[in-house]
Amino acid sequence: MISDITIGQYFPGNSILHKIDPRMKIVLTFAFIIIIFLCKNFYALGVMVLMLAIMVASSKISIKVILRGVKPILFIIVFTAILNIFYTDKGETWFEYKFLKITSGGVYIAIFMAIRIICLIIASSLLTYTTSPTMITDGLERLLSPLKFMKNSVHTVAMMMTIALRFIPTLIEEFEKITNAQKARGADLDSGGLIQRSKALVPIFIPLFITSFRRAYELAFAMECRCYNGGEGRTRMKQMKLTKVDFVALFFIVAMCVAVIMLNMNFTHLL
Amino acid sequence: MPIVKTQDLSYLYSTGTPFEIAAIRDVNLEIEQGELVGIIGHTGSGKSTLVQHLNGLLKPTSGKIFVDGLDIWESKQTVRDVRFKVGLCFQYPEYQLFEETVYKDISFGPKNMGLSEDEIDKKVRMAASFVGLKEEHLDKSPFDLSGGEKRRAAIAGVMAMEPKVLILDEPTSGLDPKGRDTILGMIKEYRQDTGSTVLVVSHSMEDVAKMATKVLVMNESKVAMYGTVDEIYSRSDEIIKMGLDVPQITRVFTSLAKCGVNVNPNIYTVNQGKLELAKLFKKA
Repeated sequence: MISDITIGQYFPGNSILHKIDPRMKIVLTFAFIIIIFLCKNFYALGVMVLMLAIMVASSKISIKVILRGVKPILFIIVFTAILNIFYTDKGETWFEYKFLKITSGGVYIAIFMAIRIICLIIASSLLTYTTSPTMITDGLERLLSPLKFMKNSVHTVAMMMTIALRFIPTLIEEFEKITNAQKARGADLDSGGLIQRSKALVPIFIPLFITSFRRAYELAFAMECRCYNGGEGRTRMKQMKLTKVDFVALFFIVAMCVAVIMLNMNFTHLL
Repeated sequence: MPIVKTQDLSYLYSTGTPFEIAAIRDVNLEIEQGELVGIIGHTGSGKSTLVQHLNGLLKPTSGKIFVDGLDIWESKQTVRDVRFKVGLCFQYPEYQLFEETVYKDISFGPKNMGLSEDEIDKKVRMAASFVGLKEEHLDKSPFDLSGGEKRRAAIAGVMAMEPKVLILDEPTSGLDPKGRDTILGMIKEYRQDTGSTVLVVSHSMEDVAKMATKVLVMNESKVAMYGTVDEIYSRSDEIIKMGLDVPQITRVFTSLAKCGVNVNPNIYTVNQGKLELAKLFKKA
């Protein structure tokens, strides 16, 4: 069900990946994603996959969990792969039937794309698996803080994101609770057409909205009671400092980037 | 034949992740028709998970549940039927109110049963009278009611389905003493008038002692004890060892008995205590 979705979930741990400074981790994840798109051939992509394997291994998160994170977007992967197979007309023809044509180039590109998307998902979910939501927003806030002219809004946005992220599990829990309560009163959510099904959601969404508003008020009061008045002059409990681990991680990513560029230049064509 | 029966019932949360935990393990239970069972146990002892199995909201990882002699997971239809046979009212049920009027909200359950307008009307009014909501309340928006009234309206929503087994998960939490007594009173009355079986999850030993015929003690995902009120509270030492409480009055009398006063230590309600003391003073 809804709680099976692991994207955005955080798994507390003590691995090397957990220890990297969130700022560094965010930057490196972005770099990794950009480099994925720079890859022009299978050799370069192979380096990325290898790097990703090292990252997964050092995160100490079970492969099962990571694969489950890929599952929800399996459809998109298959869909793009199929599109690529049929829309690319390159290399030798393997199969032809009326307007359908499968070429070796198409198949290679399809596989290439699929691997690319999977790498993308795993890399970005590794970030959230190993970094708590508060750390991520804290890191983002710090990364964006050079934008002095909008300093206060940077804090506000970061705070809003922290709160929003923090309340996702709460809302999911609330949603399940209300769903169960209405099911216990015989609400039928799993049968009927589209219209009937969306109508059946009304008894769930009205209480959910009411609860969310109540929660928002309560949180606002609680924050005001503790004298929260925005970002100005606010100090932090956790100071972030770059350590040796961060530079090692940086070194790995830079080395990977160099390798990818070299391989791109040496093997110019995709196949 | 017991109305509710479970067979080696187990339920695991988050199987296959680092968070795997057993919420309940090997629960074997038989509840007879017409009992009022008080379910007690710590937070996280599996009480809520257990009751959510009884009306088919949770599918057991292993084991079986029989309601009225029928295996509830036999087919899709039996799962749906059991929702109406076993009415479950969650903790803080007022957060599930959604309709424009109290009347409409109470009629949500009976409507889902597919009853006729007349029958729905009859059931709604009956349920409203059980929980002490007046005619004028029925046309109000449920969000304009007071806290206690909201709670009662929500409970009426479950009672209106006239389930054979009514389960209430902490029906009195967060209410003032008066609201609590009202709710407990109406649960008792409902059971007497309809003859249905009632299960009440509660943290208050006093409430359980006052109204229950049987007590079910859950501890560490298992059924620790199940028996009559006398049987259970006479083992107050074990209950205290589990980190649970016994009624205050029981503590008073066990302590008195330990001090050498000639009283019966198995006293659970203030009324019983009064009689016991009167007896003692008469002797003296």
